[in-house]
Amino acid sequence: MRVVLLGLALATAMPALAAAQGANDVAEGKKLFTGLCVTCHGFDGAGGAGPPLNRPRLLSAPDDASLRNIIAEGIPNRGMPRVRRVTDDEMRQLVAYVRSIGKSARAVARGDAARGGQLYAKLGCVSCHIISGNGGSLGPELTNIGWIRGADYLRQAVLEPAARLPQGNLPIPARGYNEYLPVTVVLRDGAEVRGIRLNEDVFTIQIRDTTGKFHSVRKSDAAVVRKETGSSLMPSYANRLAAGEIDDLVAYLSRLGGAL
Amino acid sequence: MSRPGIRDSLGAEALRAKGTRDSARGIRDSGFGTRKAITTIVVLLCALVTSVRAQVSYARLLKAESDPQNWLTYAGSYKSHRYSGLDQINRRNVSSLKLAWAYQIQRAGIIETSPLVVDGVMYLSEPPSTVTALDVRSGRPLWTYSPNIPPDVIVIGSPPVNRGVAILDDLVYVGTVHGHLIALDSKSGTVRWDIVVGDNKQGYYLTLAPLALDGKVVVGVSGAETGIRGFVDAYDAKIGKLAWRTYTIPAPGEPGFETWGKGSGWQTGGGSTWLTGSFDPELNLLYWATGNPAPDWNADNRPGDNLYTDAVLAIDPSNGKIKWHFQFTPEDVHDWDSNETMVLFEAQIGGRERKLLAQANRNGFYYVLDRATGEFVTGAPYAKQTWADGLDAKGRPIRKKGIAPSLEGTLVFPNIQGASNWFSPSYSPQTKLFYQAAREMGTIYYKGAAVYKPGTAFTGGGGRYVNGDDASGAIRALDATTGKMKWEFPLLSPGWTSVLSTAGGLVFGGSEEGNFFALDAETGKPLWDTQIGGAVRGIPMSYGVDGKQYVAIAAGFTLFVFAL
Repeated sequence: MRVVLLGLALATAMPALAAAQGANDVAEGKKLFTGLCVTCHGFDGAGGAGPPLNRPRLLSAPDDASLRNIIAEGIPNRGMPRVRRVTDDEMRQLVAYVRSIGKSARAVARGDAARGGQLYAKLGCVSCHIISGNGGSLGPELTNIGWIRGADYLRQAVLEPAARLPQGNLPIPARGYNEYLPVTVVLRDGAEVRGIRLNEDVFTIQIRDTTGKFHSVRKSDAAVVRKETGSSLMPSYANRLAAGEIDDLVAYLSRLGGAL
Repeated sequence: MSRPGIRDSLGAEALRAKGTRDSARGIRDSGFGTRKAITTIVVLLCALVTSVRAQVSYARLLKAESDPQNWLTYAGSYKSHRYSGLDQINRRNVSSLKLAWAYQIQRAGIIETSPLVVDGVMYLSEPPSTVTALDVRSGRPLWTYSPNIPPDVIVIGSPPVNRGVAILDDLVYVGTVHGHLIALDSKSGTVRWDIVVGDNKQGYYLTLAPLALDGKVVVGVSGAETGIRGFVDAYDAKIGKLAWRTYTIPAPGEPGFETWGKGSGWQTGGGSTWLTGSFDPELNLLYWATGNPAPDWNADNRPGDNLYTDAVLAIDPSNGKIKWHFQFTPEDVHDWDSNETMVLFEAQIGGRERKLLAQANRNGFYYVLDRATGEFVTGAPYAKQTWADGLDAKGRPIRKKGIAPSLEGTLVFPNIQGASNWFSPSYSPQTKLFYQAAREMGTIYYKGAAVYKPGTAFTGGGGRYVNGDDASGAIRALDATTGKMKWEFPLLSPGWTSVLSTAGGLVFGGSEEGNFFALDAETGKPLWDTQIGGAVRGIPMSYGVDGKQYVAIAAGFTLFVFAL
């Protein structure tokens, strides 16, 4: 109860403070944001590996109290860290800035989402990606990808899929590890396995090959365990699509998970 | 015989313990006897148990190394070697190691503890501040004690963990996250006394294993992340009365006060004392190390070296007076507490036998000091570090420019949790090697504002890890005298594993991914490994009973005990 009352007190006090400190808070908040948040949320909150924040409504932070809570505690299972303990002033400034980008800008990906959807089908993306329960499971699920990633990140994923593999947010395999990392293992009898790393520990590695078959390898049984950092099993579409088509595909992906 | 280590020490104690067990079996077999008969047996049994469980006297603690069946102090001995003299499990047979028993803790939490074992009973601390006594043969609990921790307890700076208990005579000592030191009756877990060490409302809390000396029990405190002023306390072991308190930050007029600038920064300057110290009874010096200055990442209100933060203090245990100090990281802005376990050993240097103290510091350097005088002997990096151009002749770091935390973030190695941390190193008198798990990871450090409000975070910034595939770890074997690496065993990720070395020529360690393994102490070659299903955060130790050697390790929510 005390927490609720405190929350109400803060909520009623905040608008008055914001009015008085308004512009300055936004400016200070932008500085903090540029240091702490842009790596994942992009400059001006346009999104990247983390979700875009330049939206009128933030899915996990519909009000200031929930936004403050996320900044203070992070969302461990989604990759949002508690990067540090912020002071009350810093918190107010960050919230003011994040709210300001939500009001001032709308992330509208260039391109025609409907045409992008047709391209998605034509290119056979469905063979490796699941959307709403349909598709193959070699690559990441895309059902809510528009909420999870920014348009720039999605564009890069289409053009240079190896440039920035998604990093794990869950304890399995482990936070911060590259997901969908291609690995090649050559066993001592010469047999070769290539696929993506599902998990790994000091002595073993678990791999799913391109046919979906699972392999468990004890590292001491392998002549070579090559982690192909900088590569991806997904082909680049840079030379297969026209600029406008790429815009269309990114627009389609950006809308997955709900309309902007 | 295949049990060389145990055979020699299989003395009267083990035989007596066997007798006790047989008596217990006798009760079980007697079924529904008369009440009188059972009473008689219980009385007999009590008499036996009393005779078997000799008190853990100070004299016994002094000779802990020569009693390898038991594990009597946090780090195995006052020298903090975390070395077991047992060699039944050795290079030749470790590949047959198997699970003997497991015990699951009562409440989910991180287990960062080193159990004690005394005459057939294991004393295990569970998160946050629970103590459980277990039968070392079967893993069955004998008693458990949990203090009443208030729901609004303030634990800022670490998870709510406990790293172990101390035992002296018939009392088991535990520090709690609500800032108490509690003495329990070792046979029943009943509270004998319970005192407040530091006010938790101010942010003081305890996670460390206390250290029992002659009639005294010594503890330190956590809480620098709330701007406490750290101290080391010694209490009368029998009644819990404060014998002395030594602050880690000098007050006005005391030497070292001038290292805090002209403001009031010293009052909230941190310098926690959150890990168990080491002790040299011959020199009569207690070595206690100190943590980071507060606020952690912003030194604006504390210009200067900030004595005695990130240092080791050599303390006279009779009165708490500081005999000498050595500071590892002056004016720290990276949260590199220097509380890491200090190993005491002797070696020939320049043709002269020296009494030395070694520590693999969180700042990435391995240090060797003369423990009689505090003189710097040598120091070298044991992990990647990008903040210093080495150490000068007196061991002071030669800081690089541009390494301070900033608004936009500054990438520095080692990481915010350090190249090492609370987890224990090990020293083997056989190999003369210092074994240490090293964390190879960078952090982007931020500087922020810091406003002091009692019991709230007073940190002034923070950091973001550069983790995942860009980070790694290793178990390293260092020549204890020079710090030169003899071998390393790579780990997939920067871990929190402690290491145990044994007379069987083994080094036990673990991984974040749940591997528990034994390495050849001379070469680092892996000889045995198993997957125990949770990050290895427990501190390994070894004990023997009934002629059998056991190795204990906690991972996830479970304590695992292995034997041949």
